[in-house]
Amino acid sequence: MTIRQTTSSSREHRPHISRRTLLKGSAAAAVAIGAAVLPSACEAVEQSVPGTSSGPFRKGKVIDCHAHLTHHSRATWEADDRKLIEAADKLGIDQLCCSTLTPRWPATLDGFRECNQWTADGMRRFPGRVLGYCYVNPGYGREALEEVRRCVGERGFIGVKLYNEYTCTEPVVFPIVELAIELGVPILHHASHSHYFVEDQPRMSDGGHLAELARRYPEAMLICAHISGGGDWEWTIKALRNAQSVLLDTSGSVTDQGTVEMAAAVVGVDRLVFGCDSSMTAGVGKIREANLSAQEKEKILGGNLEKLLRRRKT
Amino acid sequence: MIIDINAYLGHFAFRRLRHNTAAALLVLMDSKRVDKAAVSSASAITYRNAQAGNEEVAAETSGHRDRLIPFAVINPFYAGWQDDLKICHEEFGMVGLRLYPKWHNYQLSSPCCRELASAATERGMVISIPIRVEDNRQRSWLLNVPDVPLEEIVELVKAHPKARFILLNGIGYTGCPLGRKDNGLPANYAIEMSRLSAVLANELGQLITNLGAERVMFGTGMPFNYPDPALLKLEVLDASERDKEKIRWQNAATWLRL
Repeated sequence: MTIRQTTSSSREHRPHISRRTLLKGSAAAAVAIGAAVLPSACEAVEQSVPGTSSGPFRKGKVIDCHAHLTHHSRATWEADDRKLIEAADKLGIDQLCCSTLTPRWPATLDGFRECNQWTADGMRRFPGRVLGYCYVNPGYGREALEEVRRCVGERGFIGVKLYNEYTCTEPVVFPIVELAIELGVPILHHASHSHYFVEDQPRMSDGGHLAELARRYPEAMLICAHISGGGDWEWTIKALRNAQSVLLDTSGSVTDQGTVEMAAAVVGVDRLVFGCDSSMTAGVGKIREANLSAQEKEKILGGNLEKLLRRRKT
Repeated sequence: MIIDINAYLGHFAFRRLRHNTAAALLVLMDSKRVDKAAVSSASAITYRNAQAGNEEVAAETSGHRDRLIPFAVINPFYAGWQDDLKICHEEFGMVGLRLYPKWHNYQLSSPCCRELASAATERGMVISIPIRVEDNRQRSWLLNVPDVPLEEIVELVKAHPKARFILLNGIGYTGCPLGRKDNGLPANYAIEMSRLSAVLANELGQLITNLGAERVMFGTGMPFNYPDPALLKLEVLDASERDKEKIRWQNAATWLRL
């Protein structure tokens, strides 16, 4: 098996792991498939692609709902971002929904603005491959709202990323949720549930908080981040059983056997979205192996997220 | 041929495991084209008397020794461990150990553990050490078991140059002497790959460069873990087919004298 070199200017990618093997759950050798040439990130969400047989919402696209570009304070950021795309190439991931996070929290206004600028740059460097989440600290109130409006409305970001500056049930977060509803974009919310107090993240949200937020805003499109990297995943899945509007992101480094199947059984496959959160083979492997039908995996791998992104109003 | 050096049978105290009988694990192995697996008792991790778990594994694997290679879990601070070791080796035909210093509450540097390492080495048994059982963030409210610090492993491998160690479920080796080139340590340990990255940081590739493919072994952690992530790592790993074959099975076959 040769590993193809990929550059930022690459306009096509040939994955080592094909969509077919992902859907079949087979460990057989991968069969490379060609992928559609995709337009800019903003267009990728909204429009079909001229000159290709299928548009960006063609059946079966694989979208990583939880990815990150590297903060530019890291000297190797450019190479690291390129490695992310190369990894996606190898693993048959068509698109990555990325945010750039500040290295320290709580994020400052300048800090998250700078991150979002770099995310926008990433969308340009990897057109059609990188979709952007706008990361904000809700504590900045009006400025945070303006940043979301600018990123979604003018820069073509596909959603909002919230981290741990506030628990999602705190009123300071509500205006961001209301704006996301107005714009018709999802919020990917960092979440974890451990059976101990996580000292370095005192305002961590968990599945229970997201269920509470969903009861307050049933029209909000909420994604509970990384069930496989957020503590007791059985707790999280059960906490979200009745929160019908909350989707669960399968990303994270934990590869516990049965996670995806339990999530599918408890909340249904229509509420699961594939992600890696930088744990690339863990993210892809658990979906490939999960004891689900090809149709169910197609929904998780991209169908459910595409459906969500079509609700965009701007 | 694929040999999984990191597999288990039995129950785990804090989560239901699927595919945890010999029959069910073999079905899973067949579906993943895994030919053989080194298995130990998941129950023995939390049993006070680990030998009960070894007896269960010996019985469970008795008709499947061509594919399931039983390993013993020995707690060197529990009464009668010398007898247990002898029974596991001589009666049960177990060719290796798994040690849980943090779960069984002892130090790798303690005289009892050093005595166990020497006794196992004298018998030609390999000693495997799972750095962790599961992600600490999802731990039960009952306990807080830390990962085994890699620095403690460094001291152990130095103290027993003739022993053979296999490090399971670990990560971060390239950040410590264990994964560095020319580290001055005896080449008496191999590293299992289930948690190592094969893309992005590519710790797996770095270890092959630094230590050689002979020191890396395939493992999944099943049925705790899905085996596909580990299989996927080998599929996408940028390495020669010759090196991949060493990792897939040849190294394990050599170490286990299969």
